Amino acid sequence: MNNAQQTARVGLFFLLGLALTWVTWETLSGGKLFREKGYNLIAGFDSIKEVKTGDEVRMAGVKIGSVETTRLAHGRAEAVLRIDTGIVVKSDATATIAMAGLIGTNYISIDLGSANAPALADNAEIRTRVTPDINTIMAELGNLGQKLEGALGSFGAAMNGDGKPGGGLFQKLDRLVTDNSEKINTTLTNLQEVSAKLNRGEGTLGKLINDPSLHDQLLATVGDIRTAASDAKTFMANASSIVDQVKSGKGPLGTLVYDDKAAADLKSTVANLKSVSDKLASGQGTLGKLINDDTMYNSAQATLKKADRALDGLGDSGPITAVGIVANSLF
Amino acid sequence: MKQLTAILEGIGSTLQLLARSAAHVGTLPRQRARFIEQCYLIGYTTLPIVAILSFFIGSVLALQAGYSMQNFGAKQFIGSLVGLSLARELGPVMVAILVAGRVGSAIAAELASMKVYQEVDALETMNIPPARILVLPRLAAILFMMPVLAIIADLVGWFGGALVSNYVNFIGIDSEAYFAALRRYMHFKDVMNGLIKAEIFGFVVVLVCCNIGLNTRGGPREIGASVTRAVVTSLILILVLDYFVTKALL
Repeated sequence: MNNAQQTARVGLFFLLGLALTWVTWETLSGGKLFREKGYNLIAGFDSIKEVKTGDEVRMAGVKIGSVETTRLAHGRAEAVLRIDTGIVVKSDATATIAMAGLIGTNYISIDLGSANAPALADNAEIRTRVTPDINTIMAELGNLGQKLEGALGSFGAAMNGDGKPGGGLFQKLDRLVTDNSEKINTTLTNLQEVSAKLNRGEGTLGKLINDPSLHDQLLATVGDIRTAASDAKTFMANASSIVDQVKSGKGPLGTLVYDDKAAADLKSTVANLKSVSDKLASGQGTLGKLINDDTMYNSAQATLKKADRALDGLGDSGPITAVGIVANSLF
Repeated sequence: MKQLTAILEGIGSTLQLLARSAAHVGTLPRQRARFIEQCYLIGYTTLPIVAILSFFIGSVLALQAGYSMQNFGAKQFIGSLVGLSLARELGPVMVAILVAGRVGSAIAAELASMKVYQEVDALETMNIPPARILVLPRLAAILFMMPVLAIIADLVGWFGGALVSNYVNFIGIDSEAYFAALRRYMHFKDVMNGLIKAEIFGFVVVLVCCNIGLNTRGGPREIGASVTRAVVTSLILILVLDYFVTKALL
């Protein structure tokens, strides 16, 4: 191999090393070989947690860009987001730091925002919201665990009655059962007997449980009750309608109840009736006398008797004289 | 005591050789042919074995990591484990060991032969410092070639790990997820740490091998002894330096 070939190979080899180093640098520093097209958004947070350069930016779970850089500025942590060309981020969209895993894998999540909001321009600042990270959650869980432990301790103390005179619930229950064991046994025996009777179909409840015809009758009765309830409901509806009509002053009853003129007429009529009845009772007028005076009755009875005789005579005479006979008999 | 004296003597002579070589840095442009030749021998001809070895080291690393991690559901982090291990530790150390075995032994043998057969003495007689034409081009070549070998070792190892992760059934991590994990937990400074370590290891290996070769005394038998001593010393120095350099770079 001549020197020229050797030199060329060494040069090629060295250039290969340089190229690989550059590729590695580009890949690990930004996750891409070339700067992607798109535009930048600034997202400010109190803490960017585990977010670092090259992490994904997702909108509704879809990757729309990456974190170009992170920095401290304006007294806060800022993440510069490189958003792909063609992706519109609305001005009311909110960026949050989301967890992709439990061991510190984070990404920036952006919500869709509202359809009518204008789009954010290049280097605009996007709204952000703080979300609890795994450390906060674990701390909260720790607090919760402590509270739970305290609550369980109190519950256990209450149950066991640590140091309390008379003991806790368990001791009281134990005493109750021990002291009343005979009664409990008797009650249980009775319950056993009752359940046996029920099982055999004895007694009303047993028959109800075991006899299908009773069950059918009960169902029919329930059906009747339901029908009656339905009728009652209809009746009540009608009554309600009537009451409404009465309240609205419609119909005779409504007029009677709510019409002042009708009420006055009725009052007057009642007063007249009372006057008439008083007169009748006191024997005033023709009808009063008719009711109270016996002479009228006697006269009428005598008249009727005369008429009866006249009619008997009429049967024996001709029709021509009938009128005369009647007239004579009467007068 | 004798051993300790020998160690101190070795350190001293190595530093002297470094100083003598550094004194001739200005002559390097005139030694372009020697420099290119050494680059070819040290870098280009070492590439195949570096590529093969790093590919299988990356593969085995992924295999072992996948086997270990499947028990606690962390297989998706194989990429970052293989990437970081190779870039920060295994890549530079492995390349340095290969250079010590392949290049360092050759340097020691060549210089020891020249010393034994009085070629070095002849150079000195002609007022040509051996450090200038025998050591400086090699040191310059290793400084240029070592980062190239290390970065190739890293990348080939990563691809070996990606292939194993993708095609071994019980791992089943596709290449995209593998490299995503690798990118997520790696920074370029990790690679740079590895390159710096490789540079230091390679430089020390060549310097030590040159020194041992040039300090060979006796006949042909001593040539073999010098080669053995050069390789063993290089390996020990690589591992000892590895600890301190890693600690310094953390």
